[in-house]
Amino acid sequence: MTSPALALPLGLAAVGAPLDGGALPREAEREEIEACRRGEREAFDRLVVRYQRDVYRLCYRYVNDHEDANDLAQEVFLKAWRGIGRFRGESSFSTWLYRIAVNACLNFRALRRPATQELPETLADPVLGALARAESDDEARLVRAAVVRLPEKQRATLILKVYHDLTHEEVAGILGSTVGTVKANLFHALGNLRRLMAEEGR
Amino acid sequence: MTRHVSDESLPDLAEGGGSDEDRAHAAGCGACTARVEETRAVLALARRADVPEPPPLYWEAMRRNVGRRLAEEPRRAPRWAWLTPVAAAAAAVVAVVVLTTGRTHAPSAPPERTLAAWSALPPAEDDASLEVLEGLAVADADLAELDEGRGVGAFLAGLSDEDDRALADSLRSARQGGES
Repeated sequence: MTSPALALPLGLAAVGAPLDGGALPREAEREEIEACRRGEREAFDRLVVRYQRDVYRLCYRYVNDHEDANDLAQEVFLKAWRGIGRFRGESSFSTWLYRIAVNACLNFRALRRPATQELPETLADPVLGALARAESDDEARLVRAAVVRLPEKQRATLILKVYHDLTHEEVAGILGSTVGTVKANLFHALGNLRRLMAEEGR
Repeated sequence: MTRHVSDESLPDLAEGGGSDEDRAHAAGCGACTARVEETRAVLALARRADVPEPPPLYWEAMRRNVGRRLAEEPRRAPRWAWLTPVAAAAAAVVAVVVLTTGRTHAPSAPPERTLAAWSALPPAEDDASLEVLEGLAVADADLAELDEGRGVGAFLAGLSDEDDRALADSLRSARQGGES
């Protein structure tokens, strides 16, 4: 099994194209990261601007709440600042940031569980219970609520694959798993999502 | 007939990827085509569920909040910061040597010698470190000045321009000597 600390894929292109600052040539971003390592907060501020939407949205998908997502996203950037000396450039910066974000979300949920009851890993004997009725019948709201109920690995895989368009290899690198596991988790996540939505439609 | 498409391959096929073999099979297999379509529909459903967009000013507020919290963090020292006091001490020693002997090159380290078992030290004429000791011995007055509480910083600040340049040259030479 690959160690999570060493599992980051090599030579990734800019993934999770940032919405604010636009994609930056890798070399230019490397210079900014070097500046951060020298303690230049202005350089880090530019990275925050570039990636804050992606990080916030990833966190939101995990917790389905603006306030929590906001707190988590800020925490992610603080952790990134503190740990940037350990970023070795073997993955893209965004991949590294996503890994921090996923870990922060997992820790957050571990401390806060169970605001919403998570599904069991398999639904061979599904006892779904009633989904908490969303405030409206808005389909998107229901999907987001269902995503939050997916088991951890399935949820992380779905979020990174479907909403951040990462490759199997990138997701495997972030989650410290294998491509095969990522594919299996995605399949199960989609199956569970469909099932939850069907339950909700009764 | 080839084998059915595996579960794990369905999302890839639903998004237009997958292996040639799987695509060829799914094209001729009603059951697999239905599974691919079903997976595609769930993917589309998931993608339609966008995250609510916060108010426009939110992003600026988040940026400022992160900046404020970073400002509260202890400032990270540059990696070479620990060298500063060492460099200051080294500069003081070199300054003493330069001022008292007029040397512009730091003495090199004595070459390693294989000593006879009965000799604790090399012959004096072969011991380059003695030159350093000699220089330091003559510098007693300067050392006393340091001891009187002026401190290294004040001592360096009190150097004339000429001495200052000599010190800089000496440090540069010493560094080059150390690198070579």
